[in-house]
Amino acid sequence: MSVLIKQPSGAAPAAAAAGGKQRIRPSRRRKQRSGYLFLLPWFLGMLFTVIPFFASLYLAFTDYNLFTEPNFVGLANFQAMFEDPRLIQSLKVTFIYTFVSVPISLAVALLVALVLNRGLQGLSIYRSVYYLPSLLGGSVAIVMLWRYIFGNDGIVNGFLGLFGIQGPAWVTDPQFSLSTLIVLNVWTFGSPMVIFLAGLRQVPGMYYEAASIDGASKWRQFRSITLPLISPIIFFNLIMQLIGSFQTFTQGYVMSGGTGGPADSTLFYNLYLYQKGFTEFEMGYASAMAWLLLMIIAIFTAINFIASKFWVFYDN
Amino acid sequence: MALLDLPLKRKLAKQDQPEDALTGTPVSRFSRHLILCLVGLVMLYPLMWLISSSMKPSNDIFRQLGLWPENWDFSNYAQGWTALDQPFHVYLINSMIVVIFSIVGNIFSCALAAYAFARMEFTGRKLFFALMLGTLMLPGHVLLVPQYIIFSQLGWLDTYLPLIVPNFMATNAFFIFLMVQFMKSLPKELDDAAQIDGCGPFRTFVRVILPLCVPAMATTAIFTFISTWNEFFGPLLYIQNQDLYTVPLALRAFMDSEGQSMWGPMFAMSVVSIAPIIGFFIAGQKYLINGIATTGLK
Amino acid sequence: MKKTASTPIPRRLVLGAAVVAAGLALSACGGGGATSSGSGGNVELNFVFWGDANRAKMTEAALRIFEKKNPGITVKTEYQDSAPYADKLATRFAGGNPPDVLAMANRSLLEYAQRGTLADLKSFPELNLDKVPETTLSRGEVDGKLYGLATGVTTIGMVVNKTITDQAGVTIPDDKTWSWEDYAKFATEVTQKTGGKVYGAGYDVATETGPIILARQRGEDFYTKDNKLGVSEKTIEDWFQYSVDLRKSGGYPPAGFFEQIGGSPAQSYLAKGTVASQIIPINNFRGYNEAVEGEVVLLRIPGETTGERRGYSADPTMLWSIAAKSKHPKEAAKLVDFLTNDAEGAAEVLTQRGVPINPEVADAITPKLSADDKTFVDMMASIQEDDLPPAYVYPKGASVVADTLKQLTTEVEFGRVSPADAAKTFMEKSNAAINK
Repeated sequence: MSVLIKQPSGAAPAAAAAGGKQRIRPSRRRKQRSGYLFLLPWFLGMLFTVIPFFASLYLAFTDYNLFTEPNFVGLANFQAMFEDPRLIQSLKVTFIYTFVSVPISLAVALLVALVLNRGLQGLSIYRSVYYLPSLLGGSVAIVMLWRYIFGNDGIVNGFLGLFGIQGPAWVTDPQFSLSTLIVLNVWTFGSPMVIFLAGLRQVPGMYYEAASIDGASKWRQFRSITLPLISPIIFFNLIMQLIGSFQTFTQGYVMSGGTGGPADSTLFYNLYLYQKGFTEFEMGYASAMAWLLLMIIAIFTAINFIASKFWVFYDN
Repeated sequence: MALLDLPLKRKLAKQDQPEDALTGTPVSRFSRHLILCLVGLVMLYPLMWLISSSMKPSNDIFRQLGLWPENWDFSNYAQGWTALDQPFHVYLINSMIVVIFSIVGNIFSCALAAYAFARMEFTGRKLFFALMLGTLMLPGHVLLVPQYIIFSQLGWLDTYLPLIVPNFMATNAFFIFLMVQFMKSLPKELDDAAQIDGCGPFRTFVRVILPLCVPAMATTAIFTFISTWNEFFGPLLYIQNQDLYTVPLALRAFMDSEGQSMWGPMFAMSVVSIAPIIGFFIAGQKYLINGIATTGLK
Repeated sequence: MKKTASTPIPRRLVLGAAVVAAGLALSACGGGGATSSGSGGNVELNFVFWGDANRAKMTEAALRIFEKKNPGITVKTEYQDSAPYADKLATRFAGGNPPDVLAMANRSLLEYAQRGTLADLKSFPELNLDKVPETTLSRGEVDGKLYGLATGVTTIGMVVNKTITDQAGVTIPDDKTWSWEDYAKFATEVTQKTGGKVYGAGYDVATETGPIILARQRGEDFYTKDNKLGVSEKTIEDWFQYSVDLRKSGGYPPAGFFEQIGGSPAQSYLAKGTVASQIIPINNFRGYNEAVEGEVVLLRIPGETTGERRGYSADPTMLWSIAAKSKHPKEAAKLVDFLTNDAEGAAEVLTQRGVPINPEVADAITPKLSADDKTFVDMMASIQEDDLPPAYVYPKGASVVADTLKQLTTEVEFGRVSPADAAKTFMEKSNAAINK
């Protein structure tokens, strides 16, 4: 651990002035060292991130199972994955969940943010009420609650019953079990909503004033002013929500008791990965699965970035 | 990515502004309030039902679906408390241990890193910063298997170490970023004044910058609390011993062993498990909401 | 302004280091738990099993006797419901931290044994196997080594809520001679006569013990002697079709009715009074009789006399195993010996895990049995009076077969796949799993 030497009085070695860039002055070196020192925990953390990153790439090409030495098996894991009906099912489940719940969630978030944005009393109360569920949505307690709310005798079917509708067996019917989790994800719209709200508040009011003077309708204002100006935020929310929902685990696990049932209808990709890697200990296969998901996420993120050129508007 | 650009302080100031003039006609305002209230009610209904069910006798819970219990039964809490192997407060304490160490680790390591990125000069700073931002978008599951193997080799399975130690290594880019933004908004004159006084970077950090970063640290602490308290996957993977269970694991064990009839106690313990989150939320909303708003807008 | 002296080791780093050290210390205290042997020669055994709170209580009582008879050994137990138990067990073995003594499911024995994770019980002088019949031992043997010792024997039976059927005016057919068709008729009648309030049949379609007996009645061995799948596709199709027909006629509840499978008798649908009959392991009879309001009778599975041969066999309820890597194998063997051969211990557990395999112990506890338990023990005895076909160790992949059956049952239940197609898929997947 280097001892920091006190600076000579009237310091300011204008080192940079006289070609200091070529030679690193002692004080500069000192600064470097302190910089690195401060970053020491982060360096350790990066080590702890980068090494596993490449290790899992390596493992994806082996048949490691924690008991024996890993053997290189080439593309065997990936081949097996394409023929694994449960893997394909897990992709299906994850995709359906993502591409249904994320758009709905963002739309609701934006809608509510718009309603809230127009100078309302008690805005912060509403905002808090809507935000709270998003803090609880991933907790075991809430997912368990959801299971009972949608149970055969739960309040959802009870509510439907008031209208004479016989609700389905939400939790045990493979057709409907995923919808309960989609509803749960939409329930947590509060988080993107807060971000939308903050963004909406930054749209200068005078744009709207000018537009209404010009006789533009509310809808026109929304389309031409609001949307473009908050498009970066929509983009941000979209990316973060997509990445997050591809990695769903807890909800699937708790709703199905760890099985991904009924009939694998809640078998999220990460849940299947967990089953393969940590209950059957096929760690090579699980690593291959992890990399496949990584690539899928990367591809979708890239698509989004490319597409963003067409609809995201940055005011520079 | 040049998003709408405002330093955090100005944003904080804006949030505390009095609300914009009430717009729209009273009718439109009323109808908006109506809609918002309805939506709010639907949002909160599950939570209210949970709380009310925790105070009903188990048999009534699905028989009488209304919010107001016909028969009150507070014994659910006492029953649930002792239903598992250990009294529930053991699990609460376990979670607290993990959470407190995680908070300390996060604040400690992320503040250090943030200061380096925000205020210090050294070769590679830009590169490292970009790298750090990159890890923000890295899906963590891809590191799962090798990290598990590492921990297993270290003999750390069935302890809290795999859950706590990574927090001491500034692995949460989110918080580093939050703090960097915050520190950047602090005037450089403070640093200069400290340097003139003869403070080295470390003293400057501890004596000058850190105390001013209390809002950012509070945000970090609250977010860490909430996400760690709720965390299920990590403990599921690394903790076998029932005595070491954190609250989410304990709840799930409850569901596994008694979940098919002891609903009352189970819901009671569910309420107990989310109460701290609700508490922290109420106390620290400002930090939470500003926190995520910041990252969004950056 | 004072010039500051050089800064000593930064305070924060010291604090941080102290925190990490404290964390390590805490974790060491917390994680020690299960298999630590304390000072003074006290050995702590970690003993895990599945079951409900009631079984745990009785087991604990027996363990206290063991501890008294073996000063210096304490036993720490953990239990869950059977499904999470299987997962947790796998994780513990893989984490290098297996329990010392564990309950092993029939369908998992071969897998664990072949992975080398279990100890050969015959190698322990502390474990006396003299009184155990050979046919019982063979259910836990692989290649001549004994990896699991039956905790007790049992078989499955049909429990019927006689109070409900009497009220509905339905007579229960003679269980020694009834066929599967008789059962279907009976169940449908119950539903009709109770106006749909109680369903006649509530047995679990997804548990393989049913098809195993059905297969044997038709002259097939579900699992054969050479560890292969011996049941025919037709039998599986008939098993599914039977449940579909029964659902259509109303004797079986509609799709989605059963939200939870498993759990204690108190949590069963029979206890809730929504179904009139269920298939249970008969050693649980007392639990059901106590949980159900009214009188419950224990009957044989249908089809015993109408098929090619008897379907019944005396099965281990589960097996006791000792982990190969156990840190205290001798003490673990003593525990298994106690559980098998000690009459006092058996008097606490009685028939929770089946009829004791040591005939002397079984005789010793008979007077202590309640009327219900005597019922099942008697039934066990009478079933075994006739010559029963042999039964074999479940092959590797048996758990996949069980999962496949569960999966397909759900699909058939909701009409997403026909019984014929389900049977075809079942055969494909099960054969693939077993022959891997």
